[in-house]
Amino acid sequence: MDSVLRAAAMYVALMVLFKIAGRRSLAELTTFDFVLLMIIGEATQQALLGDDFSLTNSMLVIVTLIAIDVGFSLLKQRSGWVSRLIDGEPTIIVENGKLLHQRLRHARLVEADIMEAARSSQGIEKLEEIKFAIIERNGKISIIAQEG
Amino acid sequence: MHYDGYPISIVRHCLESEVKMMKDDAEHPDLQSRDYPICEDMSYQMKVWRFERIGWYLLVLLMVCGLIGLFSRGLLSTRDVNSMDGSVRVEYEMFHRNGSMNSMKISVNGKPETQIELDLSGEMLEGFSIESLQPEPLRSRSLSQGMRVWVQTDNQGQATLYLTLRGDGLGFFRSHVTTPGSPGVTLNQFIFP
Repeated sequence: MDSVLRAAAMYVALMVLFKIAGRRSLAELTTFDFVLLMIIGEATQQALLGDDFSLTNSMLVIVTLIAIDVGFSLLKQRSGWVSRLIDGEPTIIVENGKLLHQRLRHARLVEADIMEAARSSQGIEKLEEIKFAIIERNGKISIIAQEG
Repeated sequence: MHYDGYPISIVRHCLESEVKMMKDDAEHPDLQSRDYPICEDMSYQMKVWRFERIGWYLLVLLMVCGLIGLFSRGLLSTRDVNSMDGSVRVEYEMFHRNGSMNSMKISVNGKPETQIELDLSGEMLEGFSIESLQPEPLRSRSLSQGMRVWVQTDNQGQATLYLTLRGDGLGFFRSHVTTPGSPGVTLNQFIFP
């Protein structure tokens, strides 16, 4: 029983924690983010398995995690409200070459983050060449270039 | 805004100023919903950002609580209690975590070079496993709820018992450490999941 409860509690706890961290936190993995992710994985593994390293326990934990994951995806499919709650919504941060500063501040982003995405995805050099920049639900910044 | 320096007051102050700032922001043209190229609901997005910010305060609060020992080993958790007559002294951790090990030191005062009975009763043995007990008692036996050990005092009438406890249960556990003729001490312990 405790393996299932552990896995469920850990799934929910991690989901809430990553919601607090924001969608950008692990969207663009820097070297340090990668190390952080590994440390989180290691700490989670200890809590999930406890001192029971049996095949049954590990299968039970994996089955529980996948079951919850599939359950949530089915819920998201049926309810727009749940989908919005779990995945969030995209947000515009550049509109017709102008930064929406208040939005950037809340999203904890700076102009350099947008220009980095603009250069890597569209080869854009200046902010004025961006028509729209949007933070997607997965935390990535997508860029729509000005026409002509 | 007045706050008295306690962590809860500081967090309340931060939350209030955060909510006020978000309300002030709501009128800003940058934060009005757009419907092209995507249809936005900025009031919802503002709630998400507020959740992130308040969540961050809570994470910092949890970190501070961890530092001061709310989750075992720290100022709040480490206890040193004496019985009313001073014959029993117990140093222990009030907060434990399930599966982790902590030490407990029991010191008793009695007549020099004699055997003293020491009762460990209450819920201790239900919530904890005793991983080690040093020095080995002269004798030990079970009680209806707990166990009794006999220890040898030194030439100053003192005896010390070192225990390593592993938290197995969850929740509150109340136990007693007593010697004959002494009120003993009551230990309140909590095991986190």
